[in-house]
Amino acid sequence: MNKDSPAKALLVVLVTALVCSSLVSAAVVILRPIQLNNQMLERSRNIMQLTGLLAEGEIPPDEQMLELFRSMDIRMVDIDQAVFNNELDPLDFDQRRAVNNPELGVVIPSTQDLANLGRRSRFAPVYMVFRDGTLDRLILPVNGTGMWSMLYGYIALEADLNTIAGMVFYEQSETPGLGDQITRPHWLELWHGRHVYNDLGNPRFRVAEGQVALGSEAWLYEVDALSGATVTANAVTSLIHYWFGPHGYQEFLGYLREHPPTAPVEGSG
Amino acid sequence: MSSKQTLIAPLIKENPVTLHVLGICSALAITNSLTSSLIMSVALTSVLMFSNMAISLVRKHLPSSVRLIVQITIIASAVAVIDQVLTAYLPDAARTLSVYIALIVTNCIVLGRAEACAMQNGIGVSILDALGNGLGYSLVLIVVATIRELFGNGALMGYQVFELTHEGGWYQENALFLLAPSAFFIIGFLVWGIRTWKPEQNEKPEFKPEPLPVRESR
Repeated sequence: MNKDSPAKALLVVLVTALVCSSLVSAAVVILRPIQLNNQMLERSRNIMQLTGLLAEGEIPPDEQMLELFRSMDIRMVDIDQAVFNNELDPLDFDQRRAVNNPELGVVIPSTQDLANLGRRSRFAPVYMVFRDGTLDRLILPVNGTGMWSMLYGYIALEADLNTIAGMVFYEQSETPGLGDQITRPHWLELWHGRHVYNDLGNPRFRVAEGQVALGSEAWLYEVDALSGATVTANAVTSLIHYWFGPHGYQEFLGYLREHPPTAPVEGSG
Repeated sequence: MSSKQTLIAPLIKENPVTLHVLGICSALAITNSLTSSLIMSVALTSVLMFSNMAISLVRKHLPSSVRLIVQITIIASAVAVIDQVLTAYLPDAARTLSVYIALIVTNCIVLGRAEACAMQNGIGVSILDALGNGLGYSLVLIVVATIRELFGNGALMGYQVFELTHEGGWYQENALFLLAPSAFFIIGFLVWGIRTWKPEQNEKPEFKPEPLPVRESR
């Protein structure tokens, strides 16, 4: 067959496409279980460091980490109805995909959209730690638009559902050296012990403009500024105000105060 | 050219980044950490070797009308596989490199070597050429990343080398080194240095500017 005939061209393209697509498909199918396991492990690491169950700096081996994570009480919350949802599987639920799903996602009214999200998932997985049968920590997923990227994090609240026990940003692409300071552990440690809500029950927590004076009235609600990262810092303030405001978890937290959850009975599965 | 030359020439004499100014996109984007740069170097070298080998194998059957389409399909498949392997075995690195692994497809070094070498040469020469160019690219990445991470974070591969001031040390990190423009300067200085050392790399001026008309002094 002539090398430059149309038939030859078609044949070569077809064969290349077949060989290449089988290569890529094989790689995807074979590596998928390992990738899923990695995702679960990553999630466990982020959640477990907020539970207070691990000693500081302690990182258990992967298997043990997954074991600990699976043994946590993880439930789905219907944010709009402010109740638990027992039908969805929290380990399987993809909150990011749900955002753009017409049935699982909702539009955020522009007046309330402080974190510039546009839409959010109606449901969210929440993680609970119990001590002596009562709720000790509640871990909630939050996100908001930063300077360049979407910031994804988890925030842990103590039993009063107001005091911050810990915060972690596990995904962001802010400016290196400036905005990405939000992932620095020594800054995140400042969050510990601060309150989200003021006495009237409105979100007040924020990233300050400078340093917060120890013992000042604002100290309870503010953490130090990040130098050179005003936009990212403001985005962090906004995302807290959104997620703890009326369109976020505020009503659900009210529901939890009135109906304190109890630890799942051991062995009931 | 001997096979040793094929391997060694792209390191400095015909370096794809500093002489041909190819593959600059990733050299600017991911060189703020030495670890990412090493992984990127390995990923690009593997893609380059695979694509050069495959294209050299089928070169005699490639009709010129669909040549580029077939080359890009082969390169894109190699990149897709590498991307999957990285997300499976090095998930943290894959997250840091994010889109830049997928962008190897558009890295001009890969298509450039396919066109310039693999289409005319046998499989042995093509693989050696790919390895040489991959190493040449890696060399630039490693040099740039070492400078950027050391002065930007006071660290190398995540290990603290200089104690930072906000952790009680003496080194005030320079955030400029973490931003992409710093790679422009560093690569610029590299090119300058190499061309001073090897003046034959200088391009001949394409035209000579006319001398400015001399103004009469009043």
